[in-house]
Amino acid sequence: MASAPWPERVPRLLARRLPSYPPPPPTVGLPSMEQEETYLELYLDQCSAQDGLAPPRSPLFSPVAPYDMYILNASNPDTAFNSNPEVKETSGDFSSVDLSFLPDEVTQENKDQPVISKHETEENSESQSPQSRLPSPSEQDVGLGLNSSSLSNSHSQLHPGDTDSVQPPPEKPNSDSLSLASITPMTPMTPISECCGIVPQLQNIVSTVNLACKLDLKKIALQAKNAEYNPKRFAAVIMRIREPRTTALIFSSGKMVCTGAKSEEQSRLAARKYARVVQKLGFPARFLDFKIQNMVGSCDVRFPIRLEGLVLTHQQFSSYEPELFPGLIYRMVKPRIVLLIFVSGKVVLTGAKERSEIYEAFENIYPILKGFKKA
Amino acid sequence: MPGRGRCPDCGSTELVEDSHYSQSQLVCSDCGCVITEGVLTTTFSDEGNLREVTYSRSTGENEQVSRSQQRGLRRVRDLCRVLQLPPTFEDTAVAYYQQAYRHSGIRAARLQKKEVLVGCCVLITCRQHNWPLTMGAICTLLYADLDVFSSTYMQIVKLLGLDVPSLCLAELVKTYCSSFKLFQASPSVPAKYVEDKEKMLSRTMQLVELANETWLVTGRHPLPIITAATFLAWQSLQPADRLSCSLARFCKLANVDLPYPASSRLQELLAVLLRMAEQLAWLRVLRLDKRSVVKHIGDLLQHRQSLVRSAFRDGTAESPKRICPVPPVSTVTGDENISDSEIEQYLRTPQEVRDFQRAQAARQAATSVPNPP
Repeated sequence: MASAPWPERVPRLLARRLPSYPPPPPTVGLPSMEQEETYLELYLDQCSAQDGLAPPRSPLFSPVAPYDMYILNASNPDTAFNSNPEVKETSGDFSSVDLSFLPDEVTQENKDQPVISKHETEENSESQSPQSRLPSPSEQDVGLGLNSSSLSNSHSQLHPGDTDSVQPPPEKPNSDSLSLASITPMTPMTPISECCGIVPQLQNIVSTVNLACKLDLKKIALQAKNAEYNPKRFAAVIMRIREPRTTALIFSSGKMVCTGAKSEEQSRLAARKYARVVQKLGFPARFLDFKIQNMVGSCDVRFPIRLEGLVLTHQQFSSYEPELFPGLIYRMVKPRIVLLIFVSGKVVLTGAKERSEIYEAFENIYPILKGFKKA
Repeated sequence: MPGRGRCPDCGSTELVEDSHYSQSQLVCSDCGCVITEGVLTTTFSDEGNLREVTYSRSTGENEQVSRSQQRGLRRVRDLCRVLQLPPTFEDTAVAYYQQAYRHSGIRAARLQKKEVLVGCCVLITCRQHNWPLTMGAICTLLYADLDVFSSTYMQIVKLLGLDVPSLCLAELVKTYCSSFKLFQASPSVPAKYVEDKEKMLSRTMQLVELANETWLVTGRHPLPIITAATFLAWQSLQPADRLSCSLARFCKLANVDLPYPASSRLQELLAVLLRMAEQLAWLRVLRLDKRSVVKHIGDLLQHRQSLVRSAFRDGTAESPKRICPVPPVSTVTGDENISDSEIEQYLRTPQEVRDFQRAQAARQAATSVPNPP
C-alpha cells in the first residue's frame, strides 16, 4: 500500500476531506478505510452476483450478511470497529425504511445530528456513535417501539424480519429518543397525517347522464355555437362550455358523457348546463341517472422511487416495462384503483368511483413507496 | 318394425334391428336381407333425417390442432431457431402459445395479433431464463409495431397470469457490447480504435452500474444507456486518440444503430462523472469539463462507491420544506341556479343560423365542383 500510485491513496484523502460532523479520527481510522473498501467490495460483489444489476444497497434485497455483521457488532462493539462502517452503511440504508413511520418534521430535526450517518464519521461522541448506542438499545426501543407497533403495519408486510433485527435504528441519538416519543403520534389522528400532508388532487371526473329523449344531432350542431359534429368520424356531438370548463359527448339516444371537471359537484353542474342547452334547443331533456364513472387524481411524494425494487416485491400487483412505458402500473386490489407510479415521485391514481377511494389508495401506497425511497 | 322402410328384396316392412358381432344391423325378418349395417352406412332416407352440426359445436375442435394454431406453433419454432435460442426455450414458448390458444379471445383474434403473439411467447420464455432479448429486437424481426406488440404482450401476461421478470441488464450489456464491431481491425476500423473486448465489457458494466445507482436507468429504455456507456468506456480506454470521435461516428464504425436517446443519456452520464470528480481534490483543481473528464473515468470508476455516496449525499438533505400549494377550494355545490343568459351565450340566433347554413352550402358547392383545369 505504501508504494501504491495515486489512485490507491485516494481513499485516505477522502477520509480526511469529507465533511463530517465530529472531526474525523486520526490514524486509527485510516487502515480501516482501506479495509472498508475491500470489505465493501466483497459485500457488494455478493449483492451484484445475486441481483444482477439491482442496486446493491437497496435494503430490501441485501443478503443476510449485513444482519450477521450487525449482530456481531452488538456483541463486541470495540473490536468490530472495522466492520462497523459497513453496518453503518447498510443500516444507514435501512434507516430510510425504519424512519418511514415518522413524519417528516422529526427527521428534519434530526438532520443536524448524524442521523443519516455516513461511515466516514467513525469515532463520534458517545451520544451519536452507533457503538455506544448498541449496548443501550433498550432506551430507543421504548421510545420508538411503541410508535412502530401502532403505525407501521406496512412495515410488517414488507419485511417482518428486517424491522425486528434492525429495529434499534442506530441513527437515533439517545438524547432524542424521548423527544421522539412525544412528537410522534401513537395513532394517526387523520389518515392524512401519516402521509405528511400530501393530498391527491382530483384532475378529471367522467360522468354520464341520461337526457331521456331522442336527439337530432344535426339540429344541435346547427343551432349551438359550442358544438361540433362530424358523423363520419364519431357518432356524437362534442359540446364544450366555459364554466366549469368541460366537454360533453351527446349521443342521439339521449345519453351524454361529461368530462373534464375537477370535482364531483362541478361535474354535476356542468352536466346540468349541457342538459339546459339541449332543453333550450327544443328537446324535452330530463336529467336522469347522473353517475360519476371515473375519477382521476394525482400527487407528488417528492422523493425518487426505485421502480425496479417495487416491481420485485409487489410483482403480483405491479407491471413495470421500461421498454414500453416509463412508469410502473400498480393495480391495487382494495380499493380497486390503478396507480401510475413514476421514478420522479409523481403518482397518478385512476379508476375511482368515489373520492375516498383515491385517498385510501394513496394512503395504502405511500408507506410502500417510502420503503423504496433511496438516498 | 313399421316406418323404417321396406326390404329391397321382398318388399316387406317387417324390419328388425339386430346386432351381429356387436354391430347393429337392420334385417328383414321375412327374407333375412340385411338392409343396413348400423352406423357404418346410412341409407339415403336416413341421411335425410340427419342434422348439421357445426364444427365449433363438435368435439373435433378441441381434439385437433387448428391450421391457424399449427401455423403459429411453426412460427414460434422458427423464431426460436432464428434467434439461436437453446432448444429448451422452444418447448416452453410452444407451450405458452398453446396455453394462450385455449382462450377464445386469442382464437378469434386477427392474424396480425396472432403473429405478434408468437413474439410475445418467445419474449416471455427468454425473460424467464434471463436471456436478454429486447422488445425492439422482436418487433424488428416480426415487422410488427411496438404499440401492437405492447398491447398484446400486456394482455397475454394478464390472461395467462404469468410472472415475467424484468430484463436482465447485465446480460444485455454483455450481448449488446459484444455486437460492436470494434475488436478487430478492419478497413473501416483503424488500429487505434480497436479495443480489447474484456476490458471494454468490464468498464461498460461499471458505467452501467453507476448509471443505475444515480437514477439514470429507472424508467428509461435500457438500450440507449448501454450505448452511451459503451461509448464512454471505449473513449476512456484510449482518450488521446478517441476523444475526437463522436457518438454517431462511433456507432457507425461499430456497425450498430444509434438509438435516439443515447446522446442525452451520454450527457447525463458525463454530468454524473463530473459531480463525482468534484469530490476528488486533485481533480477539482483541474476544472474538468465534459471532454476532459473522460480521461479520468478509470480513476472515477475505481472509487465510484465512495464518490457516489459523497457526491449525492446532499440530495436527500436538499428537499426544502415547501408548503404544499393548496389548490383553490371551489365552493360549487352542483345545484346552483343556471341563468338563462349563461345558456343563451351558447346558442345561435336565427339570423346566425341562416348565415351558417348559407356558408355551409357555399362550402359544399365549392368542394363538390372540381377545380377548373
